[in-house]
Amino acid sequence: MPRTLAEELASKQREISVAEFFERNRQILGFDNPLRALLTTVKEGVDNALDACEEARVLPDITVEIAKAGPDRLQVVIADNGPGILKREIPNVFGRLLYGSRFHANRQSRGQQGIGISAAVLYAGLTTARPVKIVSKVREEEAAHVLELLLDTQKNLPKVVSDDLTLWDRESGTSIALVLKAKYQRGRQSPFEYLRGTAIVNPHARLVLVEPDGTRITYERASTEVPPLPKEVAPHPYGLELGELSYRLKSAGGKSIADTLGKQFAGVTPRAVTEILARAKLSGKEAPASIHGEELEGLLAAMHAVRLLPPSAESLSPIGPILIKRGLRNVLGDVRPDFYAPPVSRPPKVRGGFPFLVEVGLVYGGGLPPDQPIQLLRFANRVPLLFQQGACAITNAVQNLDWRRYGLEQKGGAGLPTGPALLLVHVASTKIPFTSEAKEAVAEDPEVDREITLALQTAARHLKTHLSRRNRRALAQEKFDIILRILPKLAEKTSGIVGKPVPDLTPVITRIMDVVNIDGALEKGPSGLLVRADLTNYTPRARVLELFVELPAESFPTARFDPTPDGTDAELGRAWWTLPKLAPSGKTRITVTFPAATEIDASDLSWYVAGVDEAHLLGGEPLPGDWDVRLPRAVIEAAETGGEDAVLAGESEVDYDAAEARANADDDE
Amino acid sequence: MPRKPARTPTTTSRPAPPPTPEALRPTVDLAREIYAQLDQGEIPRMRLPLRTKQNLQFQLRDGVWKLGRALGTRSARKLDGAQMLLRTFYLVDFINEMARDGKTSTLRELYYISEGWEEGKFHSEDESNLLIEDLEVLCQRLREDFRLHPEENGASVIGDLTIRETNRKGVVKKINCRDDVGDGGYGIPFNVEKEKIAFLSTGAKFVIAIECGGMVDRLAENGFDEEHDAILLHLKGQPARSTRRFLKRLNEELKLPVVVFTDGDPWSFRIFASVAYGAIKTAHISHYLATPQAEFLGVTASDIENYKLPSDKLSDQDVRALQAELTDPRFGTAEWRSEIELMLKNGKKAEQQSLAKYGLNYVTDTYLPEKLTEMGVLH
Repeated sequence: MPRTLAEELASKQREISVAEFFERNRQILGFDNPLRALLTTVKEGVDNALDACEEARVLPDITVEIAKAGPDRLQVVIADNGPGILKREIPNVFGRLLYGSRFHANRQSRGQQGIGISAAVLYAGLTTARPVKIVSKVREEEAAHVLELLLDTQKNLPKVVSDDLTLWDRESGTSIALVLKAKYQRGRQSPFEYLRGTAIVNPHARLVLVEPDGTRITYERASTEVPPLPKEVAPHPYGLELGELSYRLKSAGGKSIADTLGKQFAGVTPRAVTEILARAKLSGKEAPASIHGEELEGLLAAMHAVRLLPPSAESLSPIGPILIKRGLRNVLGDVRPDFYAPPVSRPPKVRGGFPFLVEVGLVYGGGLPPDQPIQLLRFANRVPLLFQQGACAITNAVQNLDWRRYGLEQKGGAGLPTGPALLLVHVASTKIPFTSEAKEAVAEDPEVDREITLALQTAARHLKTHLSRRNRRALAQEKFDIILRILPKLAEKTSGIVGKPVPDLTPVITRIMDVVNIDGALEKGPSGLLVRADLTNYTPRARVLELFVELPAESFPTARFDPTPDGTDAELGRAWWTLPKLAPSGKTRITVTFPAATEIDASDLSWYVAGVDEAHLLGGEPLPGDWDVRLPRAVIEAAETGGEDAVLAGESEVDYDAAEARANADDDE
Repeated sequence: MPRKPARTPTTTSRPAPPPTPEALRPTVDLAREIYAQLDQGEIPRMRLPLRTKQNLQFQLRDGVWKLGRALGTRSARKLDGAQMLLRTFYLVDFINEMARDGKTSTLRELYYISEGWEEGKFHSEDESNLLIEDLEVLCQRLREDFRLHPEENGASVIGDLTIRETNRKGVVKKINCRDDVGDGGYGIPFNVEKEKIAFLSTGAKFVIAIECGGMVDRLAENGFDEEHDAILLHLKGQPARSTRRFLKRLNEELKLPVVVFTDGDPWSFRIFASVAYGAIKTAHISHYLATPQAEFLGVTASDIENYKLPSDKLSDQDVRALQAELTDPRFGTAEWRSEIELMLKNGKKAEQQSLAKYGLNYVTDTYLPEKLTEMGVLH
């Protein structure tokens, strides 16, 4: 009997192994060229190591050593101090694609799909045919296991080449050594950048990179707290798809569907259970595993339709403002930025059924290049994103913000702004909407975009405040130059010509300055860290001022103030003084002393003043209205009469020298 | 070192005049004003007439453009202003000191002297020159009254003009600017006032003021001055004060018509304006420097076309200069507007020496006689 066409076709049909598929589609996983292959390998290895350490609650100590192993070949060794892997699991973890512990866990983690590291193993095997060497030790065992293995691309199964034991001088940990076709180069998309970014958002990790030329870069820990492990929470129905629902129902093992709905899914209140069942036309007594087909679809539709509690954010692990600042400071120490904007950590929001949150850090000035686009560091679940910057929702949000309003240059009010700034944006979620499996860019999503934009705006406002303060300081510097360098000489010269004694310049000085100046500085003294605030009344009238200081609440208990404040609020970290009346040019000093070990700098203290108009205040801020402070009578009076000075200062006169300079510029006679 | 008495007893000159309190009193008044402000706790400031083209006003009486009434303020509220005020009094101090010691100083020397003025030091000679002009305006005096003078600038005169000059040493000399001088002509000194130079006689019928030295040489070599009874005056680009003053005196005292012969470009228009109408920077003394009777001979924009002169394209800078001239009140006449607009329209400029296209004698045999006849200077 002749074979039918269908039979003929059927004879050609055969299973394609997952490994085979990926072998032909390397680029999907980030192995399309030697530079990228190296970065992806390092990235997958380090992400796994960090996740493992976090789960085991240990402070990560991770070393990445890259060494030459022949022409266009590198050996990469990634070692951690994590919990180690049981011997029987080693082949599967490293030698089998789509094998992992985190895919089904509904919480924020770096790795998710279980593809990454085994793809690196696959790539190493394909390009050099050399097995990878795994050393792993768990706390409970005396010796470490040493396995060499290859990945069988036909069967998607690991092949153990050798199996041995060794002594390893650490309690637990894992090390993987791969030889692969790769190329090392520093640059925007390099292991160097990746580890730098990782160090910023994981200040609790100690990271070491050894480059092929022997250069050793160490990022020491800037924090000794292991970040809290995000709680694994039940999936929220809004984010569920049919397959996932079916899987959940089958594996739930609950007695009835009503029971399972209430217990296996987040945000489903008893009332919601009733509503869902009614909409899905179920009695509630059905066995969960028995629901299928149209019934299942109806159930899912009902779950999506009914009003539920939002998903819990406990499954998220934000870095937090304090650690963002510490991480940035730790890595950017050499650049000495002028300004670290208070980092922004937005409250969690929900996208579909998945909670997410956005964090932003911004650094300005110092050694950052002033005439180039700002540096944008993108992170998703604490992993640096180095590729696809243009296609990323984070980049778009940054580019769509009009940074000119906040003091950065930006052509046409769109695109990456220019200036000496570095911007960190972190999106954390139990399910980051990536643009592709390579997890290189965050996909556009209105909710996520909104949150990023809000966070950026908050950080940008801080920048604007900083810049306007800086401008005011520059203006004040000009005035100081006048009163200190020029005015005394002018007085001396004119007095000499007219043959009279030099007059008292105080009234002129206060007219030119016309500010109350606060000069805050930090110095290390024998008794600890000393923050001085020198207050000078450079205005033409005597003033009664009220001075307030706000410091980080955690350092408040150890702070000592001189003179003794007239009031304090330890909980809010505030202290205040009503200062003795300051005559024009009068000065007074307040000191705050901290124990030597305190982690604090002058910019952590904010100074607020009442009794003088904002336009006449330098180095401090006017007292915020929401402080709800009752001011002494004299202070109120001073503030009320303060307005006149501003009128005096704004004379509408033509500046002779400016007009002349302009005239000379366009006229060459 | 005090000046020695003049060796020649026959001298009619006087040495640098003794410190005249009258001349320098206004400088002390300035100091008194600032002192009073300081003493009263006011921010020191001065008001000065703005020396900008917007503040030029035509003075019917003198027929020149002078400073208008718009005032600017130089105040110690700004660092620049404070610095200029301080410099002003270093300068005043220095001027008074020179008067006591019987010294004079060149503008350039003054600039170097300011090295010792600490915060009052000048950053360029332009800065010090501008401040001296400010002081002239404020005190209604000339810089010579402050015993400050420019270097000899090298502008010269060739022609039948007999003058009496009292030289530096106090010797009186009678000089004919054609017969008693070399090929370079008579060099116009920085001081051309009557006590220094007197005009005795002239056989000339007009003065032709010329922008470039090369053209002066051409006219002299071709004997233009003798043939047409002309005085050739070399402007040397934008003319120095003494050159303009000398020209004005020739015009006023000897009643000689003055024509101005320059390149045909926007900058040459400005040379003419400063000769005839008064320059912006010295608008406070236009009545003393400008020659309102002076007439522009060329090269005009229409000359470039009519004589088919070799020309260059206007640069962006040239175009900007012409456009600036359109808003300059001195060029506000219909004639100037059409001249400037024609040059802008044609987009061409030409040097006066481009007339050599038709041979070395063309300028003296054809161009100038044609133009001068047209202007009614030659008949």
